[in-house]
Formats: sequence, structure tokens, C-alpha cells
Amino acid sequence: MFPHLDATLADLYFALLALAALICGVGMVLARHPLNAAVLLIGVMLSLAGIYALLDAPFLAVLQVLVYAGAVMMLMVFVIMVLNRARSDVPRCDWLSVGASAASLLLTALLASTLAQRELAAHPAAVRGEPEPISALLFAPAQGWWLLFVAIGVTLLTAVVGAVLLAKRSLDTEPKAAEDDHAH
Amino acid sequence: MFEWIAAHPYETIALLLVPAVPLLFFQLLPLLVVLERRGAAFIQDRPGPNRAGIPIPGLGFQLRAFGLIYNLCDFIKLAVKEDFVPRFAASRFYYVVGPFIPLIAGLILPAFIPVFAPIAYASGDGVAWLAGQGIASHSGLLALFAFAGLSAYGLVLGSWAANSKYALLGGLRASAMMISYEVAIGLAAAGMFLICGTFDLARIVAWQGEHVWGIIVQPLGFLLFTAAAFAESNRTPFDVVEGESEIVAGFHTEYGAMRFMLVMSAEYFHMLVAAALISTLFLGGYHLSPIPLPLGPDGAWVALDDRWMREHIGSVTAVLLIALALLALYAARLVERRRRHYVASGASDAARRGREYRFYTGLFLALAGLAGLAAWALWGWSEAPRIIAGTAVWGWKVDLLTAIVQFHILIAKTLCLAWLFVWVRWTLPRFRYDQIMALGWKVLLNAALVNLLLTALLVKLIG
Repeated sequence: MFPHLDATLADLYFALLALAALICGVGMVLARHPLNAAVLLIGVMLSLAGIYALLDAPFLAVLQVLVYAGAVMMLMVFVIMVLNRARSDVPRCDWLSVGASAASLLLTALLASTLAQRELAAHPAAVRGEPEPISALLFAPAQGWWLLFVAIGVTLLTAVVGAVLLAKRSLDTEPKAAEDDHAH
Repeated sequence: MFEWIAAHPYETIALLLVPAVPLLFFQLLPLLVVLERRGAAFIQDRPGPNRAGIPIPGLGFQLRAFGLIYNLCDFIKLAVKEDFVPRFAASRFYYVVGPFIPLIAGLILPAFIPVFAPIAYASGDGVAWLAGQGIASHSGLLALFAFAGLSAYGLVLGSWAANSKYALLGGLRASAMMISYEVAIGLAAAGMFLICGTFDLARIVAWQGEHVWGIIVQPLGFLLFTAAAFAESNRTPFDVVEGESEIVAGFHTEYGAMRFMLVMSAEYFHMLVAAALISTLFLGGYHLSPIPLPLGPDGAWVALDDRWMREHIGSVTAVLLIALALLALYAARLVERRRRHYVASGASDAARRGREYRFYTGLFLALAGLAGLAAWALWGWSEAPRIIAGTAVWGWKVDLLTAIVQFHILIAKTLCLAWLFVWVRWTLPRFRYDQIMALGWKVLLNAALVNLLLTALLVKLIG
């Protein structure tokens, strides 16, 4: 409907978003306070969502904001605030961070080589967020993706059960909230 | 640039809708504040805020405008108060930035809501469509949830930065609430996705116009969605985030002056968007009738969808205007009764107040008269569409009137739901924090899952 987004304008948007993502990413790694790191990571995710939207994949962009920038990071911020052990005097660099950096570089190389070898194909309607092609892709019996879907579901269920078990001090006691319930 | 605008009027309107729809929603905030205050007073059987008035020279009375003047007083008071950052703040930056986040994230939201039906217009040889929403997207509803979720960061960061125990508790509760009820609200809406087969709000509304409203096919989904929306906008009975009786004012305990106003306007704005979203998903959006009516030729049952509306736009507007005129007459009667009562009470300012009440009665009568005249002029009016490439393209007068009428239908539903928010706030006692968590995870979530399962089965069986 609109005169199509000018190519140079799109390049400018991309440059701004990529720059923001890079700055936030580097800042996240260097930040001393965990809350700053978390906020900068949210910045990375929002910039990535902007880039997805620029690539005509609004569905991916929305999911990035909804799931990663929204739910996952909210959980992280929640944990940082609950633990409240945040200190700003941790060293910027120790052996753990060196190892983690090396591991993530390795993973990035692996991902890049995989992407370079495979031709990327996406269903244009699916990336725009129409549910029918997405579900057709996901649940087509021949492709077998639905098996992966079910496996992820079972894994998540296991994680939830594990978390509930960890939250109880022993298998016999009720969680603490229930005790409060009787006290009131 | 001006040539482009003159040559592309519909494209210009589409661009203007992006800021215009959120601003149109934003200017309803003062009305919402009055609704809350007068509604609370009405339910608690007291007069409510009715003193502040502006003296109008030459009229001989103060204009009190049903409590609207209090908004002006509040604004002036909060705007000229000292703008401070507490000395003990954990982080100046997050303290300052915090209150802006919910308002900015909230201001994007109305752009995703369809406020009128898509308008077809001739473009070259074919037909192009002007979407009735600022940002038309196939994943519009998901985007709305996504940005609404982001606004919780403002509460969390601001409360952490304020470095006070009450504020931190409020912030923690805000993030826990957001995580808990986000799931339930999404699952409650999922039934409508299944029935309409899309995430696109414009198509969900169109489906409701062609068939029946969402509340008829998804009554449980409507209830669950409304309850979760109450929780998401932190309204009583789910207001543990502020929890006046427990943690002073929760996340905004340490905020004052304009920052406090930012926090409060964001809260009311989210309530407004929640009401508009419920109207859009379950109450037919901009459509008039919940079910098809026997209004066709020979009493045939027709769905009052967008096309029907455009064919009968003059008469539809006339009927709505007559309803408005009757409401205005009723309001005039209420004011007149109030005036008689006040004058008879023999209060010292009875003469002055009496003149003021007379003024309002006159206004309402004038409104009723104007609406009646407009209804008389519009009755039966419409224009035949041109058919271009198999699509009906209507004249701009029909399109404009339809867009205005549809927008007002949506706003009327939204304000009725906003009244429901107020009504519930001053009627139900508030829940304790653990009760809210239990309700969210153990009741709402499971009920939403069962609803989704049943809907999926029914959709599969019926087709």
C-alpha cells in the first residue's frame, strides 16, 4: 500500500538497529551489575526484533519481544531482584567468563558454518504470522516436526515437575505458601 | 511532499492513523479519572468531588463540569510540584526512566486495535484497502500482548531503583503478576483464534460481524480473559502491586509530582486498552448487533456486518443519534431534579447553583435537539457503491460517516467496560497475594486450558 520502504532508509534502520544490538551486547558482557546486564540484554533482544521486522518477518519479531524480551527476561529480572545479592564489585574478567566466551564463540562458528552450508527457505506467509501455514509446517505428519514439538513439551513438563520438587524441602511437606494460608 | 499527499489521500490517512488512534484513546483519560471518582462516590453513596469550579465571567456561576475541573487542578498541582529523586535511590537512571516505560509501551497498543472496518478505494485499475487500524499486522494481537508485557519493566526497574522495601515488594509482585497472568490471558484468547482461524484482530472483528459476537461463542473465554485483564492492569481485586493496606503504595511509593502522574496515567491507559481489547475480541468491536437480526427484505435474517452498515449508514446513524438524544434528555431530567432539590434545600448559594444547573440542562437539551435534527436529516440516506474488480467501493461520504460511527460504537463499548472496571473495584474486596497466585495458576489457567480443549473439539467437529 505504501511506496515500498526506501532501500537506503531500510539500510539506515538496519545500521541503527545492528549498532544498538552490538552496543547493548558488548555492554551486557562488560556490565558489572547483573541488573544492568539484564537490561542491556533486553536491549539486544529488542534490536534483534526490530531487525526481524525489517526483514519482513513480523511474526518472528513479535515472538522475540513476547517470549524473550518479555517473559524470559522478566523472569531473570525477577530472580535478580529476589536474590538481591547483586554486587557491583565482581571482576570484569575471570576464568569462567573466558571459558564462557570461548564456548559461545565456538557455538557461533558452528551455527555460521551450518547456515552457510544450507540454503535458507522460509514460507512467506508463515513469517508474516498467518497461523495456517505455520501449523501446516509444524504438524505435517511427513516432516516429523510435531515429534520435536511433543518432545519439547515433555521436556518442559519434566522441568516444571523438577522445579516443584526442588521448591519443597522434602517430599512430605507442603510448599511454604500453603502454610501461610493456614496462619491467616 | 504536498503533491504526494494530494495524490494519495488514503495512504496519508493510513500514515496519520498510527499516531491518531493512540492519541484519541489518550484524550479519554480525564474522562476515566472522573468515571473512577464519581463512580466510587456513587457506589459509596456520597456526593464525590463536586466543589472545584471555574468562575465564568458574565454567567454569574462557577462551571464545575461534573468533576472534570478536578483533573485540571490535579494537573496543575502535580506539574508545579518539586521534581525530586530520593537521596537513597539505588540508581538515578532507572528511577527517572522507570515511569516512562509503561506509558510509552502503552501508547503503542491502541494502534493495533481496529477502530473501523477496512475501506476499499480505487487505486489505479484495481482496489486498495485502507486498514481501520494504525498498524495492520497478521500478528497484531500477539504484538499487543508483547508490548503490554514490556510495560511491567517500568514498574520493576522503577521500584528497584527507588530502593525502599515497600517499592521493591511492589515491583516483585508486578513481575510475578505479569508472568502468571500473561499465560492465562493468552490461553483465554486462544479460543477466539481457533474459531476465527487468525491472530489478525481486523479479521477477528470481521468474523464477529458476519456471524455472532465472541461472547456468544466463547462465554467462558470472555470471563477468563476479563479476569486476567483485570489482573494485568493491576486493578482491584488484583491490586496487590499497589496494595495500599499492605505496602503503602507499592511500586510507586517513592514517586511524586509528575512522575507519579506518569505512573497513574499509564495505569489508566492500560485499563482503557484492556477494555478496548475485550470489546474487540468478545464484544464485536465496531459492530452493532451481537446476532443477525430480521432486518432484511421480507424479514430475512441478516448479519449486521460492515457491508450492511454501509448500505444503511444514514438510518443506522439516525437510530444511534436518537438513542443519544434520549440519553441527553434523561441527563437533563436528572440535572433538573437535582436543581429543584438543591433550590428547595434553601442553601445559601442556591441561586448561583440553580443558574449552573439550568445551564447544564440547556446544554443537554441543545444536544438532544441537535442529535434529533441530525437524525432527521440522515434517515434513509446512503449512496450506491461502484463495483471495481468485483469489490464494492463506496463514496468518501459513506466511508467517512461509517468510520466515525464505527469508531464511536467501539468507544462506547470500551467506556461501558471501563465502568465495569470501576464497578468491580468498588464492589469486590481485594484478594491476598497468595490467593491471587493460586487463582491465576490453579483456576484461571486450568479453566482456560479446558476451554481451549473444548473449543478445539467443537471447531473440529463443526468444521
